Amino acid sequence: MKTTENALQVHNLIKYFHDPQTFQVIKNISFDVKKGEFLSIIGKSGSGKSTLLYVLSTMDTDYEGSLEFNGERLTGKTQNQLAAFRNEHIGFVFQFHYLLPEFSALQNVMLPALKLGKHSPEEIEHRAYENLRLLDLEEQALKKANKLSGGQQQRVAIARALINNPSVIMGDEPTGNLDSKNSLAVQDIFRNLAREFGQTIICVTHDNDFARNTDRTIEMADGLILNQ
Amino acid sequence: MQQQTKIKKPTVNRQIAWTHLSSKPGQTLVALLGVTFGVSMYIFMNSFMNGVNQAQDDLAFSTLAHVRIYNDDDKRSYNPAESFFDAGTLLNIRNKKSLQYTDGIKNTSQVMATLEKQPEVTGITPQLNFSVFFRNGSKKINGSISGVQPASENQLFGIGSKVIAGSWKQLDVQKSGIILGKLLAEKLNVSLNDNVNVLNSDGVSKNYTVVGIVETSVKEIDKSRAYLNIATARQFQGKNFDYSSDIQVNLRDRDQTASLVSQLKSTVPYQVESWQTANQQLLAASQLRSIIAVTVSLTILLVAGFGIYNIMNMTINEKIREIAILKAMGFSGGDILSIFLAQAAVIGVVGAITGVLLGLGISSAVNLVPFKIAGLTTLPISYIPADFVSAIVFGIATTLFAGYLPARKASKIDPVVIIRG
Repeated sequence: MKTTENALQVHNLIKYFHDPQTFQVIKNISFDVKKGEFLSIIGKSGSGKSTLLYVLSTMDTDYEGSLEFNGERLTGKTQNQLAAFRNEHIGFVFQFHYLLPEFSALQNVMLPALKLGKHSPEEIEHRAYENLRLLDLEEQALKKANKLSGGQQQRVAIARALINNPSVIMGDEPTGNLDSKNSLAVQDIFRNLAREFGQTIICVTHDNDFARNTDRTIEMADGLILNQ
Repeated sequence: MQQQTKIKKPTVNRQIAWTHLSSKPGQTLVALLGVTFGVSMYIFMNSFMNGVNQAQDDLAFSTLAHVRIYNDDDKRSYNPAESFFDAGTLLNIRNKKSLQYTDGIKNTSQVMATLEKQPEVTGITPQLNFSVFFRNGSKKINGSISGVQPASENQLFGIGSKVIAGSWKQLDVQKSGIILGKLLAEKLNVSLNDNVNVLNSDGVSKNYTVVGIVETSVKEIDKSRAYLNIATARQFQGKNFDYSSDIQVNLRDRDQTASLVSQLKSTVPYQVESWQTANQQLLAASQLRSIIAVTVSLTILLVAGFGIYNIMNMTINEKIREIAILKAMGFSGGDILSIFLAQAAVIGVVGAITGVLLGLGISSAVNLVPFKIAGLTTLPISYIPADFVSAIVFGIATTLFAGYLPARKASKIDPVVIIRG
């Protein structure tokens, strides 16, 4: 399924933190991510790997350099344009699952699609059920998110990340809070998504087993890419 | 597709807003009660104040006309010596006597005809008022007599309904009849069909038959006033058939006296005085009461607004990670703003509606509380539609404003800061 087309391009990225004092976190890095690639970013704490991911996610716009998605330049767009872009093209999975606790698993999965508004609510519900089934969560669909176990919550978060068929799925330590069994399950899911659906996956992790399981690993240290 | 997007987005936002409200029913109820209480107090305070003002006015205007026309003799001071001698001549006049040139209104029917042409005039009645002594046996009480046209007097002041014994109409039928104030009759120790002797300042004395007792609730009047037919009064005072001391005029809108007064001043050769200039204390009291009512009820709404602000602020601090996640998923700042404003709007609208109902309930309950002073039977309540409109508008506006500040804060949350911790 892999193509040589680029899903994502980073040029001369530089980022500073200004608090408590000005400090260069990312020091002029450039790289490409191919469509359908399963990429991991590793590095020690403070190496800038998470910071890099949040720049890639379009949520952090305070950087120098440029960011392109599928050839579309995102640097310089307004927050609202970026929010709409994220909604349609990027799915997120975080270390702490960040579901909306007062909503059912199903509603959590449906929210980004309802926001996008491309399909009728009935169709979205149908697709949300399918995603939950794919992740073996069909039975938990109507339970409130805060009534689910950690592993289940993480899988609901993945189902939610998938609902709009995003071209890129990003994970910030997606298995960091899971036991090894659940961690392996999540890795398998990501691998399948990349292989069967051609979705690009970028995960920040400090789990070397996880990184070994991916197509490519970028290792960062002191704001620079050591090897890729 | 574009249109579909526009329709769907608010639905998701509303759905989220609704889930927030319904998953914390206790908190929502507290916020709701704040608005309900504010709006209901606003309605109650204003309805009560309106009731008090109206009761006060009813009482005042039971003896006070909107415009009074009378002959103010004091203002004429003609000194013939001044015109007879050259200016600068030293004059020494001692024990100067004054001459009464004109006294009262001699051409009553002519003045009344002028007044009847004014479209805003709703009632006119002539009166002949003078001071007398009432006598019964050796008892002698000083008081005043109002010679009135019974029908028009009743039309202006509704005095007929205040006659507690006998009948007001009897004044028309029985020319020698007199109607006494309740306390005056008690002091004179007379009752219906007894005779009472009246003595005026010219030394004329005459007997009249009591045909009625009146209670106006204005103590000053009840203990000193008596009514005669104006024809009888003219006869008693030795005045001509068209003579009166006052002409009382009522208008359609009692607050609009100024234009009529200025118009009449040029055509009527007597003093024309509006109730506002004659009784400024009434005007001041009713305006001060209104100011108090508005101040108190706005304060209550303001306090309710602070409560809502606090609750919304708390909610937003609790949900800060959820807000960050919504933003990460692609909800814009405007979406977040509309989610929280929708919650404030629901609280505002529902609170305003329940507040109106509660306000009506409290007001009608208070309206049943007995209060038997000055002709009242229960505490007075009077509903004015404008109060309900402004209560609803203020209630919703306060809530929206109190909700807007935290909602704007929420819309500006930077998801990176929250999610990275």
